[in-house]
Amino acid sequence: MPTINWSLLMPELVIVSTLFIVLIFDMIDSLSKKVLGWITIVGAAIALWVSINMLLVGEVGTEFSGMFEIDGYSLFFNIIFLISTILVTLISLSYLGTDHKKQGPYYILILLATLGMMLMAAGNELIIVFLGLELMSLSLYVLAGYFRESPASSEAGMKYLLLGAFASAFFLYGIALIYGAVGTTSIPDIATKLNENSLSPLLLSGMFLLIVGFGFKVAIVPFHQWAPDVYEGAPTTIAAFISAGPKAAGFAAFMRIFLDALPDLEPQWNGIIILLAMITMTGGNIIAIAQTNIKRMLAYSSIAHAGYILIGLAAASNDGKASAMFYLLIYCVMNIAAFGAVILAKNADGESLLISDYAGLGFRKPLLGLFLTLMLLSLAGFPPTAGFVGKFYIFKSAVQAGYVWLVIIGAINTAISAFYYLRVVVKMYMNEPEEELEFNPYPSTLVLGLVVASIGVLLIGILPALLVSPIQNAVM
Amino acid sequence: MLLSLVIFLPLLGVIAIALLRGMGASTVKGIALIISLLTFLISIGLYYGFDADIEGFQTTDLLRQKLNWVTDLGISYHVGIDGISLWLILLTTFLTPICVIAAWNSIEKGLSGFMMSLLALETGMLGVFCSLDLFLFFVFWESMLIPMYFLIGIWGGERRIYATIKFVLYTMAGSALMLVGILALYFQNDNSFDFVALTQSGPFEHSHLLFLAFFIAFAIKVPLFPFHTWLPDAHVEAPTVGSVILAGVLLKMGTYGIVRFCLPLFPEAAANATSWIIPLAVIGIIYGALVAMVQPDLKKLVAYSSVSHLGFVVLGLFSQSHAGIQGSVLQMINHGLSTGALFLLVGMIYERRHSRMIVDFGGLAKRMPVFATFFLIVTLSSIGLPGLNGFVGEFMILLGSFVKGAFSKWYVVFATTGVILAAVYMLWMFQRVMFGKLDSTNESLRDLNPREIVLLLPILVLIVWIGVYPSSFLNPMKMSVNEVVRKVDTTQNTPAVGQLKFNENSIESGQIIESENIFMTNEEAQIK
Repeated sequence: MPTINWSLLMPELVIVSTLFIVLIFDMIDSLSKKVLGWITIVGAAIALWVSINMLLVGEVGTEFSGMFEIDGYSLFFNIIFLISTILVTLISLSYLGTDHKKQGPYYILILLATLGMMLMAAGNELIIVFLGLELMSLSLYVLAGYFRESPASSEAGMKYLLLGAFASAFFLYGIALIYGAVGTTSIPDIATKLNENSLSPLLLSGMFLLIVGFGFKVAIVPFHQWAPDVYEGAPTTIAAFISAGPKAAGFAAFMRIFLDALPDLEPQWNGIIILLAMITMTGGNIIAIAQTNIKRMLAYSSIAHAGYILIGLAAASNDGKASAMFYLLIYCVMNIAAFGAVILAKNADGESLLISDYAGLGFRKPLLGLFLTLMLLSLAGFPPTAGFVGKFYIFKSAVQAGYVWLVIIGAINTAISAFYYLRVVVKMYMNEPEEELEFNPYPSTLVLGLVVASIGVLLIGILPALLVSPIQNAVM
Repeated sequence: MLLSLVIFLPLLGVIAIALLRGMGASTVKGIALIISLLTFLISIGLYYGFDADIEGFQTTDLLRQKLNWVTDLGISYHVGIDGISLWLILLTTFLTPICVIAAWNSIEKGLSGFMMSLLALETGMLGVFCSLDLFLFFVFWESMLIPMYFLIGIWGGERRIYATIKFVLYTMAGSALMLVGILALYFQNDNSFDFVALTQSGPFEHSHLLFLAFFIAFAIKVPLFPFHTWLPDAHVEAPTVGSVILAGVLLKMGTYGIVRFCLPLFPEAAANATSWIIPLAVIGIIYGALVAMVQPDLKKLVAYSSVSHLGFVVLGLFSQSHAGIQGSVLQMINHGLSTGALFLLVGMIYERRHSRMIVDFGGLAKRMPVFATFFLIVTLSSIGLPGLNGFVGEFMILLGSFVKGAFSKWYVVFATTGVILAAVYMLWMFQRVMFGKLDSTNESLRDLNPREIVLLLPILVLIVWIGVYPSSFLNPMKMSVNEVVRKVDTTQNTPAVGQLKFNENSIESGQIIESENIFMTNEEAQIK
């Protein structure tokens, strides 16, 4: 029985403990359910603090006979997941309101999904990655359909379940084929076996199936169809969550497998990734222009962003990896905050989901207008926001790898995307309101989440070095 | 240090207004005016700290600052000025307080937002002119779009949303390519975005494509024909102040980019591209003038005249001669002053009459003699009457490109017709607005009030000053223009393009120096 270095697993252990604490406190009926949310936030914050510390100290190693790899890469992704979880929980506190029955499982599922993501990022073994993927996905299926009384939410949950299960099957089949070809599922072993073996059709088909599986999970065109429907129907907080953490987790495993296990197949997969990046960016952005519902617009925008991140993967270098990680972190923050602002725009009758509802909002709700404008400008990649630095970094790594054409397409896409992001700003500031809407007062937790995100987006936009140096150290 | 203070002081004003806007409109206006005036006063310090004998960028700590920013990516905060950017900075800081005063009573809604946008815009523009790091340059270049977008989109006219979106998308499409160009240069510059290091390396690989990537971004901004279609829309829909800034400074960012990046970094590519850029510039000059002539709308007329005037600037820059480039830089200032003043005047008359249609006016000179006087001087300056600023710039541009331009002299001949056409459309407009029968609806129009006179007077002083004694403006930029010409010239010596023309040039070269001397003495003779 090998000894286990538990200190390496601290972030995961903290999350598991938090999960149990929430479970126990959920049974106490007299307790305000908001406490559960705060426990989740505290637990995630402790795990975040532990992860940051481990990253700075450089506490790395493998665990469970090499199935679990704790390195700068996985620790940094932990940071992305945990920040997403904290932000989503913050915006959920007011969104769920004081409805007593529902809240326990909600937070437990969020924590379970977070744990699944952490497994995916640290998995050094295809089976572990799959385990993490399923843990995450199953929690998300339930969360997407969480508002059972709402037909849209139920539909979203069902759709997500069916298509997600389909994608998981592709993924698992891919693993099986790769195992058949090289006889192992360990990521480093696959890389060494590939050196010796020649290419087999089995291996290549396994690789294709993995791309399809990941393509579904991170919503890459043409595997993206589920995303807009799920985002639209799911509770807005969960839409924010699905668009952020799980996408980052998908990319964490995607990059780990393709860059660490299949680097020798780069000539085979690189062309596909480039093609996917192009159609994902262009498709996502062009379809987003046609949207009238802001949640669907954000869904297509998040698809387009997956395209930008694919550029980092296509660059297939340390710099490319670092830029994708950088982008994923800031993308998660700004996307959750954008969804948070959408929740804030909720009027007396429910959410204002049509872009036309936002007419004149900027002057009537200056704070909200400011938040949403900042996030949209960051998503569009205007300086001095973090979104600009992120795109710049990704483009830089791709130019370095010699993909100038890919970068030109990416840059033109940035201009296209500015059109629909700015359209919301136009509505908010340049159009007169069509009808007087009643607004609820700002919930303090939601505003707290948005303030934190805004400061982050501006701070990283102005001082990118704060984030660039740790990431570059993490991927070395 | 001083330079950074000038750049970021307006941003401080933005923050101050954001915090204090609850205290009422007069506080907001007061802060905006004080901050913009203070910025102007401090920027005059730049002029006094400026050493006109230094070739390249000023080296004193006062006028140059370099800080590490993102070391891992080779990005630094590096600002500095030379004789070319000095004038554009002064133009910016000079026009901003005038814009604040011009907007004093005309903004009804969201005054604090308006002033914040204006000041943020100032920081963005100043940053563009000072950046010596390509990343920093791009950050300012792009971030300046957002306040301009709000200025046109919120405070503009009927079709403001269409105009503002068009403006942003055109610029972004151009800058997307420039971003790629900047990245490609980075890897040829020892993994650094530093511009000063860049000027010392090179020639660069794929310099033709890099030139194009930069040039298209700048050409859209200038705007060079056929990229000009956003300009009339933006100008017509923008509020008066937006038009003044747009014509006065924003367009200059394009021509500044050409003289700062395109010419010195890619001299060979620039020389090759002359063969298609010059025709476009000349088409722009004539086309802009012809279209301006038939405009029924005063503002649109001035907007199209900008297309024509900026065509001259591009012509002068690509003449790659000392006189031409110097004339172009001077013409950037001239155009900023004259067209800025024209937009202010059109704005004043619009505030009174709520119309910009030429047919609605006539005989105004009787009712508004002061206004007519100001309008006449500015009109003549825009036409290029000797003794006023426009003449000096246009003359130097035409001279430089005629004598030394590596292109057919016919282009210059055609370009010269632009001067005549300018006289036609401007004077015809003036005649229709100012003379003739006074319409009864215009009987009650008030003449200029003291506030309006105060904001126009400084511009008029400069218009006359540049016209009478241009040396005080030409001397500080001489060395910097020299450096650009020297960089461009090194490739002209290598017989890469149009050998025949170069031979002609070298034969004439003795005369060229002479003729430039003659020109300078002419100027001085004129003063006497």
